[in-house]
Amino acid sequence: MTVTSSTTTPRPAESKIPAGPAPVHRSRLDLLPYLLISPVMIFIACLALVPAVFTVVQSFFKVDALDPPTRFDGFGNFVRLAKDHAVVGSIGNTALYVVIGVTLSTLIGIGAAVVLQKPFRGRSLVIAVLILPWAMPGVVEGILWTGIFDPNAGLINSVLSSLHLSDGNAVLLGQNRLLTIALIELVQVWQIAPLSVLLILAVLQLIPGELYEAAQIDGCTPWSAFTRITLPLARPGIAVTMVQAVIATLNVFDQPYVLNGAANTGASVTMQTYFISFQDLDFGQGYALSLLITIVTLLISLGVVRLVYRRVEL
Amino acid sequence: MLRSTRTALLAGVTSLALVLAGCSGSNDKKAGGGSTQTSGVTITVALASDAPPKAALDAFTKETGITVNWVNIDWDSLQSKISAAATAKTYFADATNVDWSRVGQLGKLGWYYPMDSYVDTKAMAADVPQLASFTVDGHVVGIPYDASFMVTTVNTELFQKAGANPAPQTIDAYTAALKAIKAKGVVQYPLNIPFAAAEGLSTYWYETTGAFGGSILDKDGKPQFTSPDSPGYKAAQWMVDALKSGLVPPGNINVTDSQGQQNLMAKGQVASTFSDYSGNVGTLYNVKKSSSVVGKVKYIRTPGASGPGANLSNPDGIGIPKQAKYPDAAAKFIEWFTATQQQADFAGVNGPEKTFPTYPIPSHLSAVKQMTAKGNLVGGEDLVPMLQGSKPVFEGGAPSWYPKFSNAVYTNLHGAATGSMSVEQAIKTIADTADQLASGS
Repeated sequence: MTVTSSTTTPRPAESKIPAGPAPVHRSRLDLLPYLLISPVMIFIACLALVPAVFTVVQSFFKVDALDPPTRFDGFGNFVRLAKDHAVVGSIGNTALYVVIGVTLSTLIGIGAAVVLQKPFRGRSLVIAVLILPWAMPGVVEGILWTGIFDPNAGLINSVLSSLHLSDGNAVLLGQNRLLTIALIELVQVWQIAPLSVLLILAVLQLIPGELYEAAQIDGCTPWSAFTRITLPLARPGIAVTMVQAVIATLNVFDQPYVLNGAANTGASVTMQTYFISFQDLDFGQGYALSLLITIVTLLISLGVVRLVYRRVEL
Repeated sequence: MLRSTRTALLAGVTSLALVLAGCSGSNDKKAGGGSTQTSGVTITVALASDAPPKAALDAFTKETGITVNWVNIDWDSLQSKISAAATAKTYFADATNVDWSRVGQLGKLGWYYPMDSYVDTKAMAADVPQLASFTVDGHVVGIPYDASFMVTTVNTELFQKAGANPAPQTIDAYTAALKAIKAKGVVQYPLNIPFAAAEGLSTYWYETTGAFGGSILDKDGKPQFTSPDSPGYKAAQWMVDALKSGLVPPGNINVTDSQGQQNLMAKGQVASTFSDYSGNVGTLYNVKKSSSVVGKVKYIRTPGASGPGANLSNPDGIGIPKQAKYPDAAAKFIEWFTATQQQADFAGVNGPEKTFPTYPIPSHLSAVKQMTAKGNLVGGEDLVPMLQGSKPVFEGGAPSWYPKFSNAVYTNLHGAATGSMSVEQAIKTIADTADQLASGS
């Protein structure tokens, strides 16, 4: 609808552009965009592409500060990683983080965005408060939640104990792998869900109200309107939301590290990269593991986009 | 049109030039160079400790013209920051913690300036016995600034309430006393063991192994704890059994050493910490604002297999990373910070206004003697003999691969505590890691 109205609106600037080709200036004009974006391109090259290429190359070398010199090692780093129980365990942990985190943050994002879709008194304030957890650093959140999960004086166990639901030790991080991962991921979802809400809300704001009015006149129930109008038209936003959740959960570090230390019950694959690189000083394996994480992130993100994203024209 | 194109082109070229200028770096000295300036500079000192009294730092600034920016970071994070900064060859601080456990690695990697180039370490050696633990291939990696060692602490009031001997001589007597405290309901969980997967769990096991009469690694780095009859194996079993039998709070599976000391021992929630840190009675348990057990916690000689066991030393040192901006100024600070008289001041020998509240025991024996003579060392009559008899954790010094070994120790002992593996499996995994690392494979 908005597209139609914008195409009928005359654009005054067009009338000032001289008609016909301008071969004399074309080559200069063609260079200009590249020149203008070159600063950003150089930044990206310096900060992303060069390190990425370096990582790919170095992952095939033995780069160990305690075992110099650097030498070609083929797939040696990858083989050693596959045999490392801590790494294999962390891959399983990370898979759980991704499943729980992406599912919860997407559901919360859709639910909260639908609630916030229609204007109400105090809506701006709610959105402002909602964004706070996203704005906080992961380490700060980890420390905050450490107090809540504290086994001896934490809020959760104290409440359960005062309600006579447990002896005060029912919820312990590290006691059980699934519980530990679920609790840690809950903290991360608390952080990433606000962005999911905002991304989906932005898409919902673009859906014309006339569609809902027409559906209502045709006897459509609110649930049908949600499943047949809201969800299909929100798919681009949901896809972006899911991709950002995939990236965040696959690379989760702060929350498990602060809340559960190096314990295998919650260690993520990014934590293992950190331990291998900066504790064991085996950078070759660190590069290899980083490369694997990048490839997996790309593949899952592409899969999500392929499954969820649909081009929508309003 | 042409004019606007030229303007845009000029803007593009200008922005490109700005970016290239930004990328080209400054004229600073290359990494590892550092400045020889020792006056009118600000140095950053990063230790896992509160800052010394402001008056002391101000006096140092007045005397030398060097301003100190003190950064307090928890021990585990500090070690990671040191490694990350050194491997990235970036500046982090001018002087940092050099822990006894990292000396082998730091010596091999050459990340720190040899302190013997800055300080007369030979003259210092006789008065600072733990200097040897910081020496690799004849070079001193860091100067020890305290003489910390591991020691058993007991809340005497809780022991006495249960009718238990507050100074048991053997592990069996100690365990029986803890069981009596629990049985009589004095406290629900009498023993503090920090089972969180962090360095504090490793050192607890080392000290307990020493108490059982053994050591962790031999001089070649070979594991000495694989047999079920070995002290290391027995120590691990004793620790895990203590948790399973309810002597240790179940929540301790995610409690670190400092959390256990501050939230359990200092609050009277538990009656004893088998492997505590020397100095904690004076700097934590007897400090009213952070403790509810003032005057009740005492050091005891380590209960051993058949009598008092050894105390293992874990001194903290301070050194200068090669990426320091002002290594000479940092050296001046270290010389001041570790001097006998300064340590005596920090330890409270010369009045409370000069006292460094969280400072443990001085590394200079002469400073310790001053403290003892003036009665400033809380529990000094117990600590001094233990200090003199304290032993290093590893006979051959900390191996260069210690961080990876320690990671295997604390993750697997934590796993045994949570029940995800048996003690036997944990010990086997730790031993396999040690064998693999010692063989260089």
